[in-house]
This record gives sequence, C-alpha cells and structure tokens, in this order.
Amino acid sequence: MHYDTIIIGAGLAGLSAALRRAALGERVLVLAKGYGASGWTAGCVDVWAAGDAPLSALATLVRSRPQHPYALVGLEALQRGLEWVRTLAAAAGYPLVGGWERGLRLPTALGALRSTCLVPLTMVAGESRQLADGPLLIAGLRELRDFFPPLIAENLRAQGYAATGCYLQMPPGERQRECTPLHVAQCFEQAHVRANIGQQLRTHVRQGGYRRIGLPGVLGLHQAPAVVAELQALSGALIFEIPTLPTSVPGLRLFHVFEQAALAAGVRMQVGGWVVRAEAEGQQLVAVYSRAAAREQRHSARRWVLATGGMLGGGLRSDAHGHIIETALGLPVAKPYSRAEWFDPLLFAPGGHPIFQAGIAVDPQLRPLDAEGRVVYENVAVVGGALAHYDELREGCREGVALATGYGEEQKNR
Amino acid sequence: MLDHCIKCNICTNACPVAAVSDRFPGPKYVGPQAQRFRRVGQPVPDAAVDYCSGCRICNLVCPTGVPIAELNARARAQMVAERGLPLRNWLIAHTDLIGRLSAGPQAPLVNALLGWAGTRWLAEQCLGIHRHAPLPRATRYPFRARKQPRLGRGKQVVYFHGCATRAYEPHVGAAALAVLARQGYEVLVPPQNCCGLPLLSNGDFAAARRAHMANVRHLWPYVQAGVPIVGTSTSCTLTLKEEAPELLDLHSHEVQAVAAATYDIFEFLRHLAERGELCDAVRPLEQELPYHMPCQYRAHRIGQPVVDVLSMIPGLRLKLSPAASCCGIAGTYGLKREKYALAQAVGRPLFSFITQTGSSLALCDSETCRWQISHATGVATKHPIELLAEAYEL
Repeated sequence: MHYDTIIIGAGLAGLSAALRRAALGERVLVLAKGYGASGWTAGCVDVWAAGDAPLSALATLVRSRPQHPYALVGLEALQRGLEWVRTLAAAAGYPLVGGWERGLRLPTALGALRSTCLVPLTMVAGESRQLADGPLLIAGLRELRDFFPPLIAENLRAQGYAATGCYLQMPPGERQRECTPLHVAQCFEQAHVRANIGQQLRTHVRQGGYRRIGLPGVLGLHQAPAVVAELQALSGALIFEIPTLPTSVPGLRLFHVFEQAALAAGVRMQVGGWVVRAEAEGQQLVAVYSRAAAREQRHSARRWVLATGGMLGGGLRSDAHGHIIETALGLPVAKPYSRAEWFDPLLFAPGGHPIFQAGIAVDPQLRPLDAEGRVVYENVAVVGGALAHYDELREGCREGVALATGYGEEQKNR
Repeated sequence: MLDHCIKCNICTNACPVAAVSDRFPGPKYVGPQAQRFRRVGQPVPDAAVDYCSGCRICNLVCPTGVPIAELNARARAQMVAERGLPLRNWLIAHTDLIGRLSAGPQAPLVNALLGWAGTRWLAEQCLGIHRHAPLPRATRYPFRARKQPRLGRGKQVVYFHGCATRAYEPHVGAAALAVLARQGYEVLVPPQNCCGLPLLSNGDFAAARRAHMANVRHLWPYVQAGVPIVGTSTSCTLTLKEEAPELLDLHSHEVQAVAAATYDIFEFLRHLAERGELCDAVRPLEQELPYHMPCQYRAHRIGQPVVDVLSMIPGLRLKLSPAASCCGIAGTYGLKREKYALAQAVGRPLFSFITQTGSSLALCDSETCRWQISHATGVATKHPIELLAEAYEL
C-alpha cells in the first residue's frame, strides 16, 4: 500500500509528525518496532534543564551551538510545538500546565528536584516554589516497588522541605501478587479504592496538618485529573503525583493522548513493524522493509520521517567493534572519531560524554547528511532522539526536541 | 535476545492476561526474567508460564525486540516434557483428530451430544473442559474441493483450509475458493493435516514436529513448482510461516521454502491489489461492521490487509477493535476449566466494544476468536472472506 508519508517510530516525535501530516490530509502510516519509549519517561515536557529561565538560556544556545536541533529548527518551531501539545492534551482531558518562560522543578522518586517545563495537572501541586508552604506528606504503597516515601521525604527534608513519609494500606481484595505501576493505576479507577485511600489520607491530614500530599504517579490511567480532584476533596489536602520508575503511568498517559489523536486523525499504526532496511533511487528513498513472519514487508511512500530515537530508543546501536549504526535506514552516524573518545574520564563531566551526542547530522530542513555534509535522502526528515549534536538527558530537552522537530518537520518540508 | 530486555514492563502493561489475573504475573516475569533460572536438567522454577495464552502482544509492543512469547512457549514445552501432557490437553490439542471424528454423517449426533448440558457437565468433571466453553458445531459435509485441477497449468494457488474449515466451517473454504477463482486462479487443495499450533501451544512439541513435517512433505511439490499457499486461518498460516519453524528449530530448505510461500488470504489479495491484479467488480455494501483483527493475525506483522482490501467495497465501513485487544480464547486456552473465566475476563473490553457498535454481525479472521465472540456477545460472526465473496456476488 502506498502512503504519502511514512513515519518510522512511535514516540512523541514520530506521532507529532504523524498528526501534523494527517492534519494536512495526507495518508500516513506509522511503523514502529514496539511501543515508543514514552513509558520510560516522567510524562512531562522537558525543554531545557537550566534553572528558572529556560527561554533566555535557549536564546544563548541557538547562537552558540548552531548544530543543536533547537538552533536548526528555530525557537519559533519549539514554541509552536509546545502550544500545540498543550492544546492536544487539553482536548484529551489531560491538561498540561507551565510554559517555557519559567521553568518548573518537581520532586522525583528519589526526592531530588528535577527541571521541566510542562507538567500534567496531576503533578503541578508538587512544584518546588509552593512546596515550602507547610508540612508535606509523601505517601506510598508497599505493593508498589521502587517507590520509598521515607527516602523521598528524607531527601526533601535535606533540601529544606518539612516532608514526612508514610505507607498506605492497599484496600483488601485488590491485586496482591504483582503490582506494576499500571496495575495500581487501574485500581485507582475503581471508586471504592479511591474512597478507601482518600479516608486513609484524611486521617493522616488530621493528625499531621499536611497541606500537600505527594503520591506515586499511579492515580488512574484514563481519568487521572478527576482521580486527583476526588482524592483532594476526600483528604482535604492538595495532591500531586511523583513519577515512578518505568513503567511510568504519566508517560503512558501522554503516549495515549498522542496515539488516540493519531488514530482519530486516520493515521495507520503498525506496531511490531520493525524497519530493517531501505531501498533508494539516487537521493530518493522509495521503500523500506519491515520484518514480518517468514518474509519482509515492503512499504512505499513519497516522504519519510525517521523518528526511531537514539541509543535509548533503539534507533542507534553500537556493535562489538565500536561502530555505531542507525538501525532502520543505515544512515551515516555523526559520532566521536574513535571509541577512546566516547567518554570523558569524569563520570559527571560538565560537558557530558561525547558519545551521547552521536546521531544523525541534518541540514536545516532536517534532511540527513553524510560525513561530507551532503544530503543523503532529499525526502527524509530526521526528528527526535535520532538527531546528533545534543544530549537529551543531560540537557533535559527530550520532549522539547521531539516536539520542535516532530511538529516543525512539516513546515520545513512543504 | 534475553539481554535486550531492560525490564521496562511495557509488555506487562500490554498483556491482556496479566491485566485481569493474579495467576499470571506477566510476560516479563515468566519470560525474560524466569528464563535466566531455566536450565536443562533442572526443574522448572515457576509454573505460572502455563497461564500465558500465547497471544504474542508482548512481542509486538516490546520496544527492544525480545521474542517473549517464544520464551514462554519453550518453557511450557519444557514443563510438558518433565511432567507429561494431561489427557485433556492431549485431546483438545488434536484438533485434526477431533474434527475428523465429529464431522460427517455422525455430526448431528455429535452436536446433539455436545449440546446436552449433562455431557458438558461430565466433560468438565472428567476432562476439565469448561461446561460453557464455546465449542464449534461439526458439519455434516466436511470441506473438500469439488474438482482437483492438476499442478502446473496457468495461475494456481494451494488452499490451506486448516482443521476448522474442514470440520466446522466449510462455508469459509467455499468463499475462499470462490474469491480466488474470481481472481483467475485455479485452486488446488492437496492433502494436508493440522498445522500443529494447538500442539505447540499445549507444549507437545514432538507431535507438533510430526504435524509440521507432514505438511511440509504435502506442500513441498507445489512450492517447488512456484505455487503459493494461501490460508484463511490466520493462526495456521502464522504457524506454517514462523511459529513451527522457529519453536521446533526446523530450518531445512523445504521448511523455509514452504514458510516463504505461505500467505494469509487477505495478504495475498493485497499483493494482487498492489500489482493491479485484484478484481474490483464489487457491489456496494452499505454497512458499518465491527472488525476484530486476531492477535495471531497481528503477529504476522503485515499491517491490516483486511482493511486495505475491503476498502475497495463502496459503502462498507469497518470499525476496528481497540489496539491490542484480545478475545481471550487463544485457541484452546479458554476452553480449559481453570482458564475459562479468565479468558472471558480478557475478552470483556472487546466484547463491550462489539456490543456497543449495535451491529448484529462482526468480522474476525480467526475461527476460535469468532466462536468466542459469538458465545460472549450473541453477535453473529463471519470471516471477512465471506463478506468479500458477497461483494463479488459469489
């Protein structure tokens, strides 16, 4: 079947591009190896991890690092992407709040404060500027592993917040054996669980006079803002979610917002469609092949968006010899010259490790470039984590780059 | 592949069984995690893997490409090798034999017997087949091709009908033959036996190997002559293509050639459409129908061929079941006494999707899924090929 645009990858970058293209009336297919890496993330939109004023830091960035994805697509593209994602999430009943003028800092599952820009409504009461307004309770469930309220509270106390940790009792009759964050989130979709937990919180609030309560980010999958509102009403305190270790329910929620919008827009999604090679005619990519039972499936399109992610997402792999390969199309990878240069001797080197800036170098239209700076395919745009010359984790710009490039891709390639 | 698992639990979240039961801790635990504790010659560490239904959704959603369902199938086979195959599982895994015993002149008697509550109670008590489990009704006139063209003249395909078409649903086979004939193909129906999937999913790998090798022997002459094999049962075709060769470590040239020549019927028709060879003389069908793509069909990893092909029928609107939804039956899984309720719970979101459409007919490619959907919802079900045959006025 022939498509106008085929997107390879189902993370935020790929789905942003898919939605944008579908909105223009194009026939769009998303081919993905599996579900995107969104379930590994906090479910916030990180734009730039630089204190209180990301915007001015970004203005400096685009001048000093012209190869950074933000510099290539321009800050306007980022701004449009952020506005768009807010509209999209609000329409899905899962509002995102914040903005890039003023950075937000929220507690992690270790009690550290993490910078981000847009957070779901369910987390915003945990913003660090407000946390100091009174005694704070961090509550968890023993069934939910990897979330330790006493540890979180202790680390918050070390930063000057009056936090206490406690465990709540899972209502009887609920899952006892294996509790992943999603299973607990499904429990919170049941009224009797909310009522029970709400009562327990109410008792704590009466005894400790807490103004705010931090709970693991498992407060429902589909109706999270309503679950938080109900728990607030029951407990008499402000409730905020703290993202858990993977699988992260807030990450899944954000993915669902995108996935549902894409399906509603008529985007075809093929999960399990693992692209392994490309077929080209000169500088035009004409088809890709995905793994299928007993044979490969050929897909053809006019335009292509590569959104397979970096090392983490699986878009880039290193082999035993230290070669770094781009897994889907076999594009040239911009990387440190030799393996000896991958890492800085200091683990927490201020400049980060060079290997984490490896990726696909692109021109301002996001078309892939080879080592000599020539365009490899004229009808391919690379977006998100697969791009070179930035370090999404250290710079705290994972979702920002995904949106700026994913959403901005189409305006570069009309 | 084991080391590619980063324990992110994306598979656990997508697993339809783990979502409804504490008995199955999820694909990550019984798959990549437990696998590290499984050694040849050592007892199986955790019997929970038997609650894997084999739907393969975990494989599809895994962001790092771990073949989790295969690990589970092999672990179950190891358990069966150690502990033996229970009589109940032996019986329901031999779909070929059961079908041959039930279909034919004796079918009315068999159906009457199996329709009687007393028999079903007895079968539950003695065999462990749940009394409400959706069993198909045997046909009096088992599927067989009317005339048998000779190999090697003009455009030909082999039709792989599978056990269910033969013994229970000959009309599906008739529709397939008619649609293929409409494309100008002569359809060959050589001798064939069960694909072996029920044996694989019940852990009887030795019997599955015999079944697969027998099929390869039957089909090889046709494949050698360049004739493609087309099937209407998505799980049979998946087994011929991939599950049997991979799980049974069969990699001979013949096995690979048979796998590479096997197509689901809509995959085959879509290939014709892409080459401009698909007959498009269809009449409009003003209908909105729910369509459930079976898990075993998704596991082919070829997109949505039914949606692609049926889009040529004017007026027909397909409402797709939610992504990664499963009816729960998983072949023989939902027939088992201890798993029946669980399988119904797995299917609930799909059942409510189908009933909410208000349609009196639903489409689904896999026979056991159709029986489960009809059983749970009371909605009639058809194979999409029957609808296409209608559109061709065949």
